[in-house]
Amino acid sequence: MKLKKQTRIAVIITTLIFCMMFGNVTALANDHVPYDTYNYDYRDYIVHTPAAYVPDHSISGVSFGMKAFNNPQDLCIAPDGLVYIADTNNNKIVVLNDTMTKLVRVITEFNNNGTTDHFNRPYGIAISKKNELYIADSENKRIVVLNSEDQLIKIVDNPQSDVLEAGYVFTPLKVTVDYADRIFCIAKGMTEGIMVFDSDGQFTSFFGTIKVEITLWEKFWRRLSTKKERSRQSLFIPTEFTGIDIDEKGFIFASNIDNAGEQAVRRLNPSGEDVIKKGVKKNVGGDLRTGGMNSYAGPSKIVDVVYRNNGIYSILDSRRGRIFTYDYEGNLLYIFGGLGSQAGTFVAPVAIESSNNMILVLDSTRAEILVFQATEYGTLINDAVALRFDGDESLAVEKWEQVLKLDENFEIANVGIGKAYLSKGDNKLAMKYLKLGMSREYYSIAYKRYRNEILKQNLSFLLTGIVVILAGTMITKSIIRKRKNIVDNTDGGGLE
Amino acid sequence: MKRWFSKGKLRYPFYILTHPADGYYELRHRERGSVPVAIIITALFSFCFSMNRIHASFIVNDVDPRSVDSMNELGGVMLLFLLFCIGNWSVTCLMGGEGRFKDIVTSVGYALLPLVLTLIPATIISGFVAADEEAFYYLILVFGVAWTAILILMGIMIIHNYSLAKTLVTLILTFFSMLIIIFITMMLFDLLSQVYGFFRNVYIELQNRG
Repeated sequence: MKLKKQTRIAVIITTLIFCMMFGNVTALANDHVPYDTYNYDYRDYIVHTPAAYVPDHSISGVSFGMKAFNNPQDLCIAPDGLVYIADTNNNKIVVLNDTMTKLVRVITEFNNNGTTDHFNRPYGIAISKKNELYIADSENKRIVVLNSEDQLIKIVDNPQSDVLEAGYVFTPLKVTVDYADRIFCIAKGMTEGIMVFDSDGQFTSFFGTIKVEITLWEKFWRRLSTKKERSRQSLFIPTEFTGIDIDEKGFIFASNIDNAGEQAVRRLNPSGEDVIKKGVKKNVGGDLRTGGMNSYAGPSKIVDVVYRNNGIYSILDSRRGRIFTYDYEGNLLYIFGGLGSQAGTFVAPVAIESSNNMILVLDSTRAEILVFQATEYGTLINDAVALRFDGDESLAVEKWEQVLKLDENFEIANVGIGKAYLSKGDNKLAMKYLKLGMSREYYSIAYKRYRNEILKQNLSFLLTGIVVILAGTMITKSIIRKRKNIVDNTDGGGLE
Repeated sequence: MKRWFSKGKLRYPFYILTHPADGYYELRHRERGSVPVAIIITALFSFCFSMNRIHASFIVNDVDPRSVDSMNELGGVMLLFLLFCIGNWSVTCLMGGEGRFKDIVTSVGYALLPLVLTLIPATIISGFVAADEEAFYYLILVFGVAWTAILILMGIMIIHNYSLAKTLVTLILTFFSMLIIIFITMMLFDLLSQVYGFFRNVYIELQNRG
């Protein structure tokens, strides 16, 4: 009998283990993606997730019967859906239609006051709300602004200001433009921040300067080292920005390389202050686990950022070819992408754009655009975050529940559901989900309400209990006292 | 058995809780203490510590339950306990302390009783507090720790018949001696493993040639 029970337990356990193993294998095999898709849980453990985006197809210059792209550096999507690619080493701008199936036109030259002018290494491009094309014409040291008929509107070059060093050579790399036609430009070797030009093309100021933080330890060592040693040490130079985008409110999203791996993207308000939310982990720097000694290890090297919509933005890491997507609160939603030579992986990703449920990544070495299509999982998360961003948390619950069916470890989904139950008043279920989502703050609120509920329900029992206990103690005490008195009396009587 | 676990011996740690000065004096001079009881209290402390780490409520507890291994922690606590006692004994031996090793073990072991008594209620209470009421939980914990600290201090002071200043000095020296002991043990192990490796290599060499 005993043996039987043991064997039964053993069988159950082994089947369970097999189920778990098998379940894992099938879950991973279903995705068919050439990269890891994962996320980090509350304790920074890597949790594998379904793929949020899968590679769909790739687009190269050859697909439109022209010369292959040569070291393309930037792409952007116009308000009317056209896709612009800066084909840097071919000195031209390629324009594709919104589904990227047809070549619309190629911009190689423009009329500059009667003379035909060309680009020299056009590096970054941006499109304003008015459909005007801003081109960082890097080796011509200027920003060219064209309208939608490729007519020249203005040329921004040779910025003049007291804050610029004498003989400063302006080499624009990335540009973006806001609703007031102000140009935000990342220039080569310019560590003071993003350069801002007003609508007349006059340089006005630097923007969003990254302050260098020297640790106490570094200060200590600098104090100890001699002048000669100090001259050989690396200088504390602020990192440069790498990519730039603008959201619908006119806030600038700018990515930078952070060797601490903590903050690789900033959201700059109109006065240039960083107002990004960093989430529970206080981290918007890509990968959290970056250990190891090989070239594959180390903090993520974020080269571009794209603001998508509903507060969601994605950043592109060139070190491991990952795309990290955050919501407006700075929570990591999903991670996908990888380096490699397979279809759907990158060699040197340089720029990222998004449209509808697609993410486009430009690879400069492969000279092609990789198009990623959202899966059900990715779409559900995007929709849920969008609903929450609009303040519709109860509608988001449905989406979160579907997300949990695909990935039951997703903490943000658990928190979302928990919060909804909390506002609905179902405190017990709220506690369950908030604990799964590791949200201490809201769990505590739910718990407090739950406790009060229980107390209220059982108040009569509780009070009766207290009265009974009090009465009981009083009665027993008086009985004891009486007995003692009797004993004392007899004792006393005895002594007398 | 009677010598170690009589009713009086089992009750004595609780007497020390409230009367440390008299309690520790009699522990040293009237054989009121019991080493096994002290070790049991230490083990209980380790158990309560692990339980607290695993079962304290989610609101006050940030420990990953997967990282808690109560057997490992028992080993750690015991090792630290032993290390402290040896360290203290080696220091006080040189500094004219009157306490024997046995007294040090019992006094330190008994001093852990407040922690045993507070960790469990604190763990239970943690299940009934919300985030803004955490103070109750931490109050109990701090109370236990402070009580234990006072007991250890008084225990060492009284069993060795030291002044307070001298006790504090010995405690600091104890800390250093613990470090030295750890250092020497590690060195010894390294050395032994190298010696072992040498003979092993010689053996393999002989076997392969023969």
